Amino acid sequence: MNPLTIEERQKAFAIPKKQEVIERQKLPVRYHVEDFPIEDRPRRFLQAFAAILKHSNYRFVLDHYIRTSAKCSRCTVQCQVYEATKDLRDIPCYRSEMLLKVYRRHFTVAGLLRGRLTSDPGLTDEQIQEMARAFYDCTACRRCQIECPAGIDHGLVTHLGRYILAEIGIAPRALVVSTREQLIGETKNTSAIPLPALTDTIEFLEEEMAEIKGVEVKFPIDVEGADYLFIAPVSDFLMEAETLMGIACVMHAVNASWTLGTNNYDAINYGLFYSDHVLEKVLLNMEKEAERLKIKKGILIGECGHATRSARGYYNTYAKRYPLPIINVMEYTWDQIRAGKLKFDRNMIKETVTYHDPCNIARPGWIIEQPRNIIKYFIDDYVEMSPSRRNNFCCGGGGGTVSIDEIRPYRTTIGGRKKAEQISKTIKDGKAHYIIAPCANCKKQLRELIEDQKIPSTLVGLHDLIYKAIILSDDGVAWHDGNN
Amino acid sequence: MESWLEFGKGPLFRLCFALMVLGLLRTFSFSLLGIIGAYRKAGDKIVPWGDLTNKTISWLIPLGHLWKARPVYSFISFIWHIGLILVPLFLAAHVKLWKASVGFAWFNLPQRVADILTLTTITAAILLFVMRIGSSEARILSRKQDYFWPLLLAIPFVTGFLCANVSLSAGGYEACILIHIYSANLVMVLIPFTKVAHCMLLPLSQYVSGLGWKFPRDSGDRVAATLGKKEMPV
Repeated sequence: MNPLTIEERQKAFAIPKKQEVIERQKLPVRYHVEDFPIEDRPRRFLQAFAAILKHSNYRFVLDHYIRTSAKCSRCTVQCQVYEATKDLRDIPCYRSEMLLKVYRRHFTVAGLLRGRLTSDPGLTDEQIQEMARAFYDCTACRRCQIECPAGIDHGLVTHLGRYILAEIGIAPRALVVSTREQLIGETKNTSAIPLPALTDTIEFLEEEMAEIKGVEVKFPIDVEGADYLFIAPVSDFLMEAETLMGIACVMHAVNASWTLGTNNYDAINYGLFYSDHVLEKVLLNMEKEAERLKIKKGILIGECGHATRSARGYYNTYAKRYPLPIINVMEYTWDQIRAGKLKFDRNMIKETVTYHDPCNIARPGWIIEQPRNIIKYFIDDYVEMSPSRRNNFCCGGGGGTVSIDEIRPYRTTIGGRKKAEQISKTIKDGKAHYIIAPCANCKKQLRELIEDQKIPSTLVGLHDLIYKAIILSDDGVAWHDGNN
Repeated sequence: MESWLEFGKGPLFRLCFALMVLGLLRTFSFSLLGIIGAYRKAGDKIVPWGDLTNKTISWLIPLGHLWKARPVYSFISFIWHIGLILVPLFLAAHVKLWKASVGFAWFNLPQRVADILTLTTITAAILLFVMRIGSSEARILSRKQDYFWPLLLAIPFVTGFLCANVSLSAGGYEACILIHIYSANLVMVLIPFTKVAHCMLLPLSQYVSGLGWKFPRDSGDRVAATLGKKEMPV
């Protein structure tokens, strides 16, 4: 990887906050944080830590990690943040040790005894400040876990560290404000899109599809008893019109029974990034909507990695009244192709395409081959990035950091540096024109990355290209021949 | 000297061995019970057991991982572990002692193979130690025990090798065997209380990380209630 220039370093590490705010909050981190009491922060951190340990499943994990961590430093070559900064504090194992150290000192008998014997005062506010920096420099991509011989999931430790910090008021304002709007705001979504604006957008998209495709394609709204409740990351309605139109065309072509819900049209769940409590609340709202609409078969999540992971991983953890399967729209589309229900114009996409695996759906091995199968079904010229699939590089905006606009220089200089190099190499080797990133977070980050790093390519969603190439029959009846 | 030797081989060995076995069983049980407890408390019971098992096997026989990250270090570490596991368990002299003590035994390594493994283990110990002190990345991660272990583990191997090749330990055989026995006893006592406990815990690691992501239902509410923040919306 090319080393950082002095200018890049200055730009990436600049803190866009007033000095008075940093001093008032005693928090020299790049992201903005809402004011929260700073007195007695170590004690409150330990209280929150204790409460979380008491009511969750984390304790045995930390016990196991402090016994097995061998400090082998193999994770140094897996972490793209450390590879860019070469700051030893960015080594995943070092970052995790910040929290494991607190656990060992304050929550194990040996640590408490040693603390007494050595008069060690324990957790300090400086340690908290350091954790607040470290846990948000990590993109939570979990690539380091793949090559950890001890099986330590540093992403899980980061997740827990952020949760504890959030309980004492340290969480990026960007995430907190969006979540507040989603959970108790008037619009009930993270982008604060009012319902009338949403329906206007949907009407516009329907008109657009009628004009381009010559077929009346609808986004059904509030259809009781539909098979599928479709929930996209709400930002798609602002930024990813073609993704949504592609999805609508697929649903139209297969004559699917589906609906959007007006009480909940946002799949974004920042709880996955900073609070299990938020994670649960967002998913319970999803359950309420599915129950209100008496959804029969499942919840269809739009193109989004973290929304898919949070829903698939946790909907059935929390939603006990109305359990449903969670399906990503790419899985659904591939199933329809396999069933021979979709028809494409294979001459529509002539450019070379490549595919970026979103960490949240690829790392667990959930959605890897389905999008590739879809791409290869109607596009001839496909090149693979290397590495890819479960071992992919993160876009650099993972773990919710993409939504923190004030750290864009950091994300596109440090977090996404490795990805930018990989994309440049893929373009050079395979002359890829389209980069497909089926994830709202990855799309935003990669667009900013391409722009800031001046990489000549076009970032799209998978259904954007499906929208271009799908053939809808004139009478709106689905194709069933299955031949291409 | 003779009485020290007898004590080290007899009661002390039995005590240290018992401490090691019981200590490892204790830590293993904690992790295993943790996994079971997490599964029971988890809000949903869908666990990718197959995937976690595949990952576990891939790390118990880590040949596929060696070249993927820090290949030189990984290869040395692999060689190191082979010697550490095979020589103490399958050295002919050790097997004979077991046979004499408990009445049964298992196959043993040819002496020549054991000698080669011993030498590679000693070499690996030195290299791992040098690589640890020579790398700023490893240094910032290292605790005292991380430096200590390769050196401590090398002692029984060096002295064992000298004892097995009497011509090398000419005159000092008794001292060598004494150091060999006492250092091995020390190793056994320390294993359960240090990172070397991973010798028993590694088969559980992937399951621990997998189950760690399974959350109990209502845990967020209960945390908020405990912290007196139940009424704070976000």
